[in-house]
Amino acid sequence: MSIEPITGRYLTVTIGGAPRRIYFEEAGQGRPVLCLHTAGADTRQWRHLLNDAEITASNRLIAFDMPWHGKSLPPEGFETEEYLLTTEAYIETVLAVIDGLGLDRPVLAGCSMGGRIALQLAALHGHKFSGFIAIEASDFQPAWYDIDWFHRPDAHGGEMGAALVSANISPYAPNAERWNTLWMFMQSGPGVFRGDLSFYTKDDSLIPRLPTIDTGATPVHLIVGAYDLTCTPEDAKRTADAIPGATLAVMDQLGHFPMSEHPDGFRPFFVAALDKMPTTAAKAA
Amino acid sequence: MIDIFKNIQSTLDATPHLLRLGRLFSETVLIDVDGHEFYLTFEKGRIISVAEGPSRKTPWQFALRTDAEALEKFWQARPEPGFHDVFGLVKIGRGRIDGDILSLVKNLRFFKEVLGLARTRQELAA
Repeated sequence: MSIEPITGRYLTVTIGGAPRRIYFEEAGQGRPVLCLHTAGADTRQWRHLLNDAEITASNRLIAFDMPWHGKSLPPEGFETEEYLLTTEAYIETVLAVIDGLGLDRPVLAGCSMGGRIALQLAALHGHKFSGFIAIEASDFQPAWYDIDWFHRPDAHGGEMGAALVSANISPYAPNAERWNTLWMFMQSGPGVFRGDLSFYTKDDSLIPRLPTIDTGATPVHLIVGAYDLTCTPEDAKRTADAIPGATLAVMDQLGHFPMSEHPDGFRPFFVAALDKMPTTAAKAA
Repeated sequence: MIDIFKNIQSTLDATPHLLRLGRLFSETVLIDVDGHEFYLTFEKGRIISVAEGPSRKTPWQFALRTDAEALEKFWQARPEPGFHDVFGLVKIGRGRIDGDILSLVKNLRFFKEVLGLARTRQELAA
């Protein structure tokens, strides 16, 4: 028997003038590192890093489920609402969680749409963070599929979504973790993956903001997997090149969900990214 | 090439989880390899016929058009990026889906795994 060090609790914050009950998990102590999951998934993508004793010895890793995802409920009245994530709502949610948890300038680590919003926050609210780790993150990504496939009454959106995103998992990923990663997409609520993708594939507002990011104040490090078809290494390089002072690492054997699909392969890249981020003490000095 | 598809046919017959996933799939799929046509007719998840074209009278639900070299790479145990997935082939310009793409998407896991049955058998754990 083993009990993991991860603890999960709930936080109620106000977003868009209405309460949201947010589920979050955390492990460790020291520098706060807030972790954002991808579209169509939840906090479980970060399970391996939250269980990494060496990393959590000096980092307080926190991950939360976005409203509509995982164990965070959708808002009251969701039954008549079309879920469409926006940059504004996403930013408001992340900032509300930071305020609600009382985090002092955390490092923000986000993957895919979480990486996209991390770069938006770097541009618009950089002073509230100490650094940014943008994983599988790009300036803009038009859909190479029809997002409406994933929300229709005659088919299971989760199963189709999982089958689609399997294209983004590396053949080097251990089989068990490949399927653990896909399970989250299979469990995603109706229309949620589509609503996330709407944000991810239609909002190009980040492009003109990239050159305004001040990496002297808050470092930005991008990480991308070679097997990521959605955010390719070329996409990540184009994005990094547009941010003065940003750095980029390419993972030859990983895909779009590196922390979940291949934790051992991702770990050294995440540790190297953390090493590029300032410590809280240095920031407070 | 047709031997590979016939091998997929017999391997599928011995793969219970795919027969279960494909139990509602009864369609003909065209695989076009460098302009050579191969018609895979599915019946409740089994391939009941593998026929070589050309044919102007065989209706098909959707088609995957690609080339032999791309398929050879796709069938490696660890394909290089882009060649590791059907939609990867499309994304890198080495494949095209024609016809009822929604039929493919509704059965996407099934179709991908069926096509992957020709993949070189190796221990994939890293």
